[in-house]
Amino acid sequence: MKTGKTIFFAVLIAVGVGLIPGMVIAQEAYPTRPVQIIVPFPPGGVADLVARPLAAALEKILKQPMVVVNKSGAGGAVGMQAAAVSKPDGYMLMVALSSISVMPEVDKLFGRPQTYKVEDFAPIALLTADPTILVIKKEASWKNVADFVEDAKRRPNEIKYSSSGVYGTMHVAMEMFIHAAGIKLRHIPTAGGGPALTALLGGHVECLSGGPNVSIPHIKAGTLRVLAGWGAQRLTALPDVPTLKELGYDDAEFYIWSGLFVPKATPPAVIKVLREATRQAVSAPEFKSAMEKMETPISYMDADEFQKFWEKDAQRLARAVRQIGKIQ
Amino acid sequence: MVETLQNLYLGFSTALTPMNFIYAFMGCLIGTLVGVLPGVGPLAGISLLLPTTFGLNPTSAIILLAGIYYGAMYGGSTTSILMRIPGEAASVMTCIDGYAMAQKGRAGPALAISAIGSYIAGTASVIGLMFLAPPLAKYALGFGPPEYFSLLVLGLLVLGYMTGGSMVKNLAMIVLGLLLGMIGIDHFTGYFRFSYGVVALGDGIGIVPVAVGLFGISEILTTAGQPKRPEVIKPRLKDLLPSKEEFRDSVAPIGRGSLLGFLIGIIPGSAHIISTFIAYAVERRVSKHPGKFGKGAIEGVAGPESANNAASCGALVPMLALGVPTGPIPAVLLAALMVHGINPGPLLIKEQPVIFWGLIASMYVGNLILLLLNLPLVGIFVNFLRVPYKILYPTILMLCVVGVYAVNSSIVDVWIMTLMGILGYVLRKYEFEPAPIVLGVVLAPIIEMSFRQALAMSDGSYVIFLQRPISVIFLVAALTMVLLALKPLLKKGKDWRERLTKAEKTEDV
Repeated sequence: MKTGKTIFFAVLIAVGVGLIPGMVIAQEAYPTRPVQIIVPFPPGGVADLVARPLAAALEKILKQPMVVVNKSGAGGAVGMQAAAVSKPDGYMLMVALSSISVMPEVDKLFGRPQTYKVEDFAPIALLTADPTILVIKKEASWKNVADFVEDAKRRPNEIKYSSSGVYGTMHVAMEMFIHAAGIKLRHIPTAGGGPALTALLGGHVECLSGGPNVSIPHIKAGTLRVLAGWGAQRLTALPDVPTLKELGYDDAEFYIWSGLFVPKATPPAVIKVLREATRQAVSAPEFKSAMEKMETPISYMDADEFQKFWEKDAQRLARAVRQIGKIQ
Repeated sequence: MVETLQNLYLGFSTALTPMNFIYAFMGCLIGTLVGVLPGVGPLAGISLLLPTTFGLNPTSAIILLAGIYYGAMYGGSTTSILMRIPGEAASVMTCIDGYAMAQKGRAGPALAISAIGSYIAGTASVIGLMFLAPPLAKYALGFGPPEYFSLLVLGLLVLGYMTGGSMVKNLAMIVLGLLLGMIGIDHFTGYFRFSYGVVALGDGIGIVPVAVGLFGISEILTTAGQPKRPEVIKPRLKDLLPSKEEFRDSVAPIGRGSLLGFLIGIIPGSAHIISTFIAYAVERRVSKHPGKFGKGAIEGVAGPESANNAASCGALVPMLALGVPTGPIPAVLLAALMVHGINPGPLLIKEQPVIFWGLIASMYVGNLILLLLNLPLVGIFVNFLRVPYKILYPTILMLCVVGVYAVNSSIVDVWIMTLMGILGYVLRKYEFEPAPIVLGVVLAPIIEMSFRQALAMSDGSYVIFLQRPISVIFLVAALTMVLLALKPLLKKGKDWRERLTKAEKTEDV
């Protein structure tokens, strides 16, 4: 009985002593317990496949378990809203995609209360950024973008393209090009990137603008061809494919990017720890090889640089959403 | 042929290495568990385990995850039969006749037939997958929105025959389900429909909370509300195995269920849950004694249970042959390959023979493991019925809540389940059958999607449904069914439905 009491007090004192430095110099103590990373998309998606290797790499650096939580729904709005209102203590991070800037803009368009604001988040780092590519069927008659645009001008609203959904990445990217080229295409929205690609493979639509890593196997197999990319530079995996910018469509610049975010009110000291840890994590060999295997090149940017990139990107996306307008 | 056998040899030499064999076994075991636990379905199971496979080699990873997928189809029937609680969404139809059999003390045979049917369907569709994957995948791609819409129209008409009882009540339930299925973002304009500011309703209401609520929770409420505690039917050992007659009656449904399930599973975008509804409807239609359905017909267990296994295998056809996901589960399986640097596409079978044939062989092995695992378990599972209700039901209730929450870490889903449970309770008090609601919730989004996609393709012209041959075939079949249904109005004589009502009436007297 007596030893029981002694042990109890010993533990109490130990815990108390352990807490004191944590309270005095909090920045050095973070993180002291497991950290959650919200992925606002289902398992197996781009955000999930980036978040999991990142979590593994961060775990080694921060010496705390990093738990990936998939909180999907409403095109990511559910998870992003949850992250926006979470306690800003650095124990709830989020890996989000470029669509983070689209949704508040769509809410504005419809005049409904915003589920979250872009300003709710502080960026930690950009992780990957892949421009989309213009993919067509092998049998299509177009040899290049000029052919395509000419044909589209000859028969407006006849050429069909599929997308992952209205105001989704594949829709917004294509609309940027449509606007830049002054053409009209017919939009067939589907329930996601997979079904959109299936519609093209089945010949139910003629083209799409999608992420390179899912199309490349079909391009290699010869069932699909690629006409152009949306990046500022050509893709390393497809060096012969011109960018739309090169071809004179200056406004057509689009990336499916992923970045790490925290709620805006997170203490600067915690943000500093996370920035430093992420910088180390992206150069960790396991993370590098994981990204290489998925043919998703790492495009790391630290918070300040990322903030600038994000603002510019958000402006481009907002413009595209306004150009699309309300769909009747 | 010779080449296939050589490849199969390669496959078996891969699948039977001790490591891969253990992974196949683990996958099947986890799958069975995931299937048995209500609420936790194969998608949740695979998603939770996906990160642990990052460290494995790709063949082992896909063998493990696929094992969970088809293993869940075996386990899903268990709680459906014993407690009328679907272990996963594709076992909703099994609840109806499986549970009726259990009430008559035939839980053992129902479980055994469902395991045997699953085994036959699983093995037969692996053979189909092996020989037919590339040509079938092309056929699947030809299925665009117009074909899909026409198929669903035909499906809805077939399903008019689905359950027993009043036709009007069934139609009312289908419409209620379709209405509930309209909740969520309009995929064509981005408007939120009936979400009342709840962002989590953006994707509509999920099948899992609806199925678990309508069946599971309502069953618990109903039992608790009974003045006299229901008698626990203690099965005797000799009642564990199906009788000769039950075996004979199951052969044809298993065959039909396997074929239907496989073909429906291949079509991109279709949920394997649909195959179970259609299999049930078909069995009821061709049966010589449709009056037995709903009261414990073994065909009503054998057909859907075979169909969902075959469908889960069929769904792998476009995934492996073309790298195209047919639904959320194959999408996660594709991701599991992608993290290993294998980009699934049309060249997968050629470039990665070890993975493809290893998986095929592991599925032969896995299905056998599942049969050997599930048959002895029948005896154990049946004994769950001996557990007193005051212990059994709170445990199940807890599992339902945890399972439904786990799918999406969403408390809204738990609320949906609760509301559906109350709705299901009320409906049962007034003798409405809840299965058509589940069907409506499944079908509403895909019917709407395919209809509007088809019209978007044709720029608003309805002719598109008549321009495409496959679509025309389905529509003609649908029209024929309508005309057949109208026949009794023109000619004297009774159709089977009226005969059935009459037979039921005389039975009651």
